Amino acid sequence: MDKSLADFALRHLEKKGVSYVEAKLESQEVNEFLLKNSILESSSFSSNSGLGIRYLFNGTLGFLSTNSSEKEKIKRLINKSLILTNKASKYKEDITLSKERSYKRSYKIKQKIKLADISPEEKLKDLVDADKAILDTKVNTPGRYIALSDKISKKYFINSEGTVINSEIPYVDLHYFLTVNENGKSSQRYWEHGETSGWEAVNGWDIPSIMKDEILTIKNNLEKGKKPPKGILDVVIGPQISGIMVHESVGHPYEADRIFGREAAQAGESFLSEDMVGKKVGSEVLTIIDDPTLKSGFGFYLYDDEGVKARKKYLIKNGVITEFLHNRETASRMGIKSNGSSRANNYDKEPIIRMSNTLLEKGDYSEEEMIKDVKSGILMKNFTEWNIDDKRFQQKYVGLDCYLIKNGEIKHPIIKPILEITTPYLWNSIDAVGKNFEGHSAHCGKGEPMQDIPVWHGGASARLKNIRFI
Amino acid sequence: MEIKNYIKNELKKKGFEDIVIVKTGSESKQLKFSKNKIIKTETGSSDDISLFITKNKRVLYTNLKEFSKQSIDIFIKKTLKFIKNLPENNNYYGIAEGPFKYKQFRSSYEKKVLDLDDIDLLQKSINSSLNEGAKRTDGVYEVSRAKIELLTSNKVDVEEFSSSLYLSMRSFVNKESSGHSNIISRTLKNFDVDYVGKNSGRIAKLSINPKDGKKGKYDIIFDPLPFSCLAAEIGNSSSIFSVESGLSFLADKLKKQVASKKFSLIDDPLYKDGIQATKFDLEGAPTRKKYIIEDGILNTYLHNTSTAKKYKTQTTGNAGLIAPQPWNLIVKPGKINHEHMFSHIKKGVYITNLWYTRFTNHFTGDFSTMPRDGAFLIENGEIKYPIKNIRISDNMLNIMKNIKEVSNNSIQTKSWESQEPAITPSVLVSNINITKPAS
Repeated sequence: MDKSLADFALRHLEKKGVSYVEAKLESQEVNEFLLKNSILESSSFSSNSGLGIRYLFNGTLGFLSTNSSEKEKIKRLINKSLILTNKASKYKEDITLSKERSYKRSYKIKQKIKLADISPEEKLKDLVDADKAILDTKVNTPGRYIALSDKISKKYFINSEGTVINSEIPYVDLHYFLTVNENGKSSQRYWEHGETSGWEAVNGWDIPSIMKDEILTIKNNLEKGKKPPKGILDVVIGPQISGIMVHESVGHPYEADRIFGREAAQAGESFLSEDMVGKKVGSEVLTIIDDPTLKSGFGFYLYDDEGVKARKKYLIKNGVITEFLHNRETASRMGIKSNGSSRANNYDKEPIIRMSNTLLEKGDYSEEEMIKDVKSGILMKNFTEWNIDDKRFQQKYVGLDCYLIKNGEIKHPIIKPILEITTPYLWNSIDAVGKNFEGHSAHCGKGEPMQDIPVWHGGASARLKNIRFI
Repeated sequence: MEIKNYIKNELKKKGFEDIVIVKTGSESKQLKFSKNKIIKTETGSSDDISLFITKNKRVLYTNLKEFSKQSIDIFIKKTLKFIKNLPENNNYYGIAEGPFKYKQFRSSYEKKVLDLDDIDLLQKSINSSLNEGAKRTDGVYEVSRAKIELLTSNKVDVEEFSSSLYLSMRSFVNKESSGHSNIISRTLKNFDVDYVGKNSGRIAKLSINPKDGKKGKYDIIFDPLPFSCLAAEIGNSSSIFSVESGLSFLADKLKKQVASKKFSLIDDPLYKDGIQATKFDLEGAPTRKKYIIEDGILNTYLHNTSTAKKYKTQTTGNAGLIAPQPWNLIVKPGKINHEHMFSHIKKGVYITNLWYTRFTNHFTGDFSTMPRDGAFLIENGEIKYPIKNIRISDNMLNIMKNIKEVSNNSIQTKSWESQEPAITPSVLVSNINITKPAS
């Protein structure tokens, strides 16, 4: 990365009279392998780098991006952008940014086993072994789509307030989509494993075991599963389910840009309003955090893409809203400081408010203790289909690895129970939270153009009381 | 020497066999607006080269963003090192063999797409919405142009220009009453910003004070915007890549009745106003119009040269760099007008937007999707009142088979979530399952 390009762009915009400017150079080196039904369908390596610049001119935000390394081209693009922003400022909503401390920092995640030291052959071996583990189960698996990728993201961020941040974050990501046929029925499973780490994380996953467990679990469900029960039931949810719930119905509606309506035509709004900080929205055992500083979390970072220092945030503490996710714009609107939640997925996208590692914080129960007190209920360990409305008020989760609970004991598997529930009912129904912890990776979509960004969701298991199944 | 040829020649010298080089240069502008005000401008410029290359049946996809000879030489060394470690791909059967004669075809192109009075166009649309009774509008206005050049090792050297205008507007009367409309076009002539404003404003006004919907079976009228989401799912399901991956509800159904006789889905890359119009696919094979589904029968999967050879058929001219993909999806219009469809319904729901379409099982087609913005209960041919908090929970094949009417009013549109454009009219589907939260 030629850092002088960012310095040049910043100086040029300052000379043009902008009230604030930030410039970010970013490079991403990506390797990807996809094995489909035992055949290496796709291998790729790619590198991209470029410059993203955001500024305030006459109270209007302008953003521009280019992968050109020619200063004259960058200058021309800046001038075009300024003309457009100046015209737009006649129809603007005045944007202000919260006052934040400036930093000069460099940070990186140290790779114990460097991604660059692992040959394509070794990476592929993990996939081939995974496929073999599936075939060794002798289960009918007509669809086996397994992909492994790694990425190194390097950023150089500067702004007109004196902040300079250098960062280097490695990512490793496994995702798979499996189809299992058994007893004339079929089930499909998609999941991801991801961390910010060197290759040591991949070595720790034991991919063949993951695949074998997935396949045998689905087979068992299709072979022995019965119809889900109906009526009022208690539900014990594992971290994969609590994770997706936390992400969809807490993380997203707590994004302040949605609350203020900025994403209304894209990812939608929120059922919450800005005056709800301090309001009770869940049971007392409910605490939900968003913590970008969590080491190895797929949503890890120490400074956000506005140069604000990241920190652990309590979105809900003991059932009460503590804070929303903010960037400098929404923080300014609420008269507070940003909590460092602004990210872009590459140099060519504007930074917007994103979740990082969003988790249901641990409680006091073991999963066994939660199950023991259930007279009639369901254990939901993972899921297939899910969705939620764009205000994040009502959601659906279709269970996959699920079991009937009767008088405190786990009985037979049940096939695809459907939990369709409103957000207030969901978070008020929790009466116990587990002391276990799992972080699960995902790519979350938001913005226009769409930006998918790495996040973790998960945390502890939990128990929901009195849920209606019809 | 021109950069693409330099790369091709250098790769050839190193023993690479099939080579596809796609060079794309693009420029774009965006205005993002919220609450009737412009809140951000965006300006972008990008040059990129994507490559598909093979050596000894080993296949690799990669890209280049720096075009100096020195960068290219380093890149080729890295490529050589990378590809030799890959196993052979026995599923790979080669790329299209040129040279080709392409049809005399020129897609619609707006030369001055970046020089339009963007703010005036946007203001017109916002005012049209407000005049319909909306209080607030949000969305994006976006224009771009691109030049795509394609060079292959098999005597293909072609280029195409494209332009795109896109306006997406969500209008609100209050927090619970909204309407969404958008338009995507290659030319200003077909870019009806007034329609977008009026339509989103009209739906928002109609949807004031929604009541909770009730679960049950309903006949549903999908506006073009929500049906474009479903058409994109069907189009993507028809790619042989999806079929092989377990991601298709059309697997094992070739030449079978998969939909009502009223339903035909076309992929027409030569539709000159189609946003993805092109006379060549990404291996240089000439493209052509084809019925994916004709009168309800699944006519073809989408293929490139390699997958066509594997399945002993002809390429459909749908090669993407990795997998076959649809170009311009077109739902064949029917004869009935949109308003007339309502008279066919005793108990139904009118849906104006969808999002969050997710499958329990892509192979069986079990899925659900969320109505968004104005949704309306229909009784005895008339809209009764707006409804909320419902979900369509059904099966894609069931929906396709239950299509009763297709209207005669097509528009080119795309939803925020699926991002796949389609040219589609409104569609009436009978007996669809609607669910709602039980707790």
